[in-house]
Amino acid sequence: MCDVIWCKKEVDGSPCETVNYLDPFCFWNWEGTINCAECRTVYYIHMIQGHMYKGPEERPGEEPDTSPLYADKPLEGYRNYMFATEGRTRPFECMPRSFLLGEADMVKFSIRGKPVRGWRPQPESAGIAGSFPYHWDIQNLSPDVWEEYQEKIRKGEVSDW
Amino acid sequence: MSKKKDPRVTRIEDLAGPKSPGELEEMKMPYEEYCRQAFDPGNEAKKPESLKGIRWLSCTMYIFTPHSAANLAELGAEVIKIEIPRMGDAMRHTSPFNEAYLYPLHESRPMTGTGLGFTNANINELYLTMDYHIPEMVDVFYGLVKMSDGLTELYRPGTLDKWKMSYKYLQEINPRFIYVWGGGFGYGPKVFGGSYDILGQAHAGLASITGMHEYMGGHATKCTNWVIDWASGTIITYGVLAAIHWRRKTGLGTMLEVSQVQTPTRFMGYSVPLYGRFGIVRQRWGNWDTQLCAHGIILCGKSDYPDADNPQEKFDARYVMVSAFNDPDFQELCSVIGRKDLWDNYPRHKQRLEAEAQIEVYDALEQWAADKTRTEVSDALNNAGILAYNVKNHREVYESEHLRQRGTIRWLDDPLFGDLLTHCTYSTGLMSKSPRRLKWQWRPVGADNVKIYRDMLGIPVSQVEDWYEKAWI
Amino acid sequence: MAQEKRDVEINSIQDSLDMLTPEIRPWPVTPPPSAEEVSTQVYTKRKAEDFLGWVEDNVKFEKSFGKAEALAGLKVLDIGLWRLGHKFAASMLAEAGAEVVCIEPPGGDPLRQLTPFGREEYMLADQETGEKCGIEFIAEMVNQYAITLDVDTEEGQQVFRELAANADVVIEALPPGYADERGIGYRHLKDLNPGLIYAWTGIRGQWGPDKDRLSKHGQWEIEPFACASNAWIHSTGYPQDQLPRGKGGDPTRAGVWIADYVAGEQVAVNIMAALYWREEFSGEGQFIEVTGAEALMDITDFDMTWYGFNKSIKARTGAWDPNLNQYEWNPCKDGYMMIGGQSDRLWYRIGMCIERDYPQFGRLIHEDPYLKEMGARNALHALIKTYTLTTRWLRDINRVQAEEALLEYEIAAGPVLFVDEVCEFPHFKYRPWIYNCESDYGTFLYPTSPNAYQFDTPHRLKWVGRRLGKDNGEIYSKWVGYGPTRLAELKTEGVI
Ligand SMILES: [Zn+2]
Ligand SMILES: [Zn+2]
Repeated sequence: MCDVIWCKKEVDGSPCETVNYLDPFCFWNWEGTINCAECRTVYYIHMIQGHMYKGPEERPGEEPDTSPLYADKPLEGYRNYMFATEGRTRPFECMPRSFLLGEADMVKFSIRGKPVRGWRPQPESAGIAGSFPYHWDIQNLSPDVWEEYQEKIRKGEVSDW
Repeated sequence: MSKKKDPRVTRIEDLAGPKSPGELEEMKMPYEEYCRQAFDPGNEAKKPESLKGIRWLSCTMYIFTPHSAANLAELGAEVIKIEIPRMGDAMRHTSPFNEAYLYPLHESRPMTGTGLGFTNANINELYLTMDYHIPEMVDVFYGLVKMSDGLTELYRPGTLDKWKMSYKYLQEINPRFIYVWGGGFGYGPKVFGGSYDILGQAHAGLASITGMHEYMGGHATKCTNWVIDWASGTIITYGVLAAIHWRRKTGLGTMLEVSQVQTPTRFMGYSVPLYGRFGIVRQRWGNWDTQLCAHGIILCGKSDYPDADNPQEKFDARYVMVSAFNDPDFQELCSVIGRKDLWDNYPRHKQRLEAEAQIEVYDALEQWAADKTRTEVSDALNNAGILAYNVKNHREVYESEHLRQRGTIRWLDDPLFGDLLTHCTYSTGLMSKSPRRLKWQWRPVGADNVKIYRDMLGIPVSQVEDWYEKAWI
Repeated sequence: MAQEKRDVEINSIQDSLDMLTPEIRPWPVTPPPSAEEVSTQVYTKRKAEDFLGWVEDNVKFEKSFGKAEALAGLKVLDIGLWRLGHKFAASMLAEAGAEVVCIEPPGGDPLRQLTPFGREEYMLADQETGEKCGIEFIAEMVNQYAITLDVDTEEGQQVFRELAANADVVIEALPPGYADERGIGYRHLKDLNPGLIYAWTGIRGQWGPDKDRLSKHGQWEIEPFACASNAWIHSTGYPQDQLPRGKGGDPTRAGVWIADYVAGEQVAVNIMAALYWREEFSGEGQFIEVTGAEALMDITDFDMTWYGFNKSIKARTGAWDPNLNQYEWNPCKDGYMMIGGQSDRLWYRIGMCIERDYPQFGRLIHEDPYLKEMGARNALHALIKTYTLTTRWLRDINRVQAEEALLEYEIAAGPVLFVDEVCEFPHFKYRPWIYNCESDYGTFLYPTSPNAYQFDTPHRLKWVGRRLGKDNGEIYSKWVGYGPTRLAELKTEGVI
């Protein structure tokens, strides 16, 4: 295998069976050592134009130069290692925040503290054939959010900018 | 026969200036103040709309063709967006890293939202659903055509023709109709090739000249946003407005066949003619400029916000745009960074523009900046009277007093979705008398079905409900 | 055609320049397919030969001339230096038939002197006078008349007012307040000509705390300053996680002055909207201002809205898009290959195509429960996995092979093409998107306007740039009635 290292290292009598993904721009031309995210076996690889020119060769006892960004285990329902799993996968620095959710962020208030309809489920408010009124009647539809908003105003957590 | 005027005589009509006290006030005003008052950000809604009375059908998806119609809606046209029942535009199902949605998408799906990928491409529009495949719908569609000025569609060439909804048919129904097909390629060998923004960037050459050169370690680079989608959409809007102008005189519509993939080639300046004349294939030149030096972006040693939580601030507040290509500016720059030898070696622009010289110049700049933060660098240069500007991030754009005063960053109290920060519409251009405006960002799929089927086309509610049950609308 | 062979020794660029001319190295190198071939081999595949035949009959590029021009009679003045935004707007209006006059100072727009890497040998000579001009300037002067006028002189200002009194539109791209100080700004002209539509365009604005600046020595701000001011550069480029910082993993500008083009087209749109409002409703002109920073910001997707939602700062994602999967390019055997298809239907078709050559792909992608839902596929880890495996397929094949394979499955896919490949791509030659113009500077290959394919009023290129002041005689006579002697006087005084 090439842009992936499908690790078959024997661990406690059975093969590791972890797929380590070598992301294309980083590894397109690359030489060094990399660990398996699961069993931490260190492999030497030398890739040229995306091809594994040398390796993967085990390098027992060596510290890896890098780690895969992502790895998963096809035989175990695709159990996976996300990026930035300490000692296993490489952190991904260039992110929009210090963390990524990977799923919908439930947001009730904008960054200046005013209500925004960024959470689910929303109470029913449609009329005939899926039509919606012009306005969001937040006071009646989501009184709890409206109340929270009043509280934020009282606490001075709502601003113009 | 000299037409020179007698310098001793000053006639009031010769003066460009004021003719009344009110005008005098206006003429005395500092220019900045005059501009601010002329554009008067924040009060756009009180002024008339440019395209009042134009009605447009947007049978579109993604960004390219939707933006061509949204542009009209910003200018005051009434735009009806027609979407697939229940699902809507595919763009509603896109959101950065799957994280940001506004709910609901449609009344039947309270747990599904419209992703922020949909932002700004369909503003101020009415939302209708219709399945064009249903033969019964064709007549309904014709009704809309009779009441409208034109439409934009993006289906595979020939698709709407099969349903008798191409310009071939519609020009008979409404000779004033302006019909736009927008897609990837248009007639020709790749006519059935689909299209996306990124395909345009790749296929038309823009990617091949964007990014770091191979020797700098780089790859062909994608421009961040769907810039070719949006920019080609604007090309359509322009084509439509020119066609409307022509129609005012002649009463005749037209059909435009616009290929998005072509747009980036048109944006490539000297690239194509240079190839045509000399066979030279333009390459990537990273953060520098092929025609000006010094005129490029440099990496500074330190971030402006080393302790910030957000990695975008912590790691990337390190880049400055530096520009000093005219002789005195370049000389000044060399002295600020303590490299007068560069000025001695490259006193002429032509000399410092050579590739080897550029490498030396930017290398010297980055060495000088290696122990400085971004703002230390830009301050040092600005204080010396040289042009330099921090490469800003989105927080800094949000906090820009300049953009706030101009109203080009502002908060929208969206009637249906609440508090949304907005960077669109007003930023497209200030107009003193009939300005653009943003009324709402978007509405759920089919949100205006009754408004259009019943109120505009006179279809009984029971019929509308029946179609809805059958998922025809 | 008989081909003459000769031995050439190349020691410098000078030795090869003669051989690079279009006469010796013609475009296109190979002809595009014929209409007949396209109809029978392509259109018939979807039984669209009748419809597309009808389309070709009516919108074909070659039929543009002889059709009407949408903006015939519209008179436009354009004044500005250094930048492309105002020039692009002016070109767009001129392509649709407006009479556009570009005003330069008697010394010419410095843009005329710009040439890649300072190579004078890549400048083109006017065929009558031999005057040299940079290609970019020539390319961005479509259908425009070139006149000279020094608006720093009092007389020049008066001439400008006379010209503007006669115009429908003025496009101005001078530094903030420059025209106003000289009594030729909007507030002066609107009284002379109440119907005048006046559009200023620049980098960040002619007013406001961060308006456009000049350096101490008078140097202008030029693109990509606009792209730096609106976070566009911040979020373009490869992340440092894919390429090391300083070696490709940095915020990156566009190869071209992109904000100029984006602002320029919105200048044209706003002018057209103002024109409609004038003709239809008010009879009045108005004042317009479009900046590169803001017009480009308008189209930066959801970026600022996302910041307002939860303080997200859009990061660089290289050639991958964070919103759609698949939607990217990745390296392949001979370059880069772009693949797109996000809906379930297209997603599985991409998989079917790739697994034909690389069965492992089908297994690892289609079995994975985390990749089954459309939205969930946009998570970063899903992109990493999908694109690693896609590239595993691509590394063994060329762009053409990948394109053919993917098109068979009706996937939107395309190669990253270099400029020569763009000019020779069969579809582009067929329409043609690239075309030769017999210009004042000789054969000039240009990209056609995307609005050139229309039933009734196609936009078209008639000529490209002209030498400095070429049209002084004609334009000053037609617009303000100056005869040859008056022009000679103005010339002597240095006004034109
Ligand atoms: Zn392992
Ligand atoms: Zn817009």
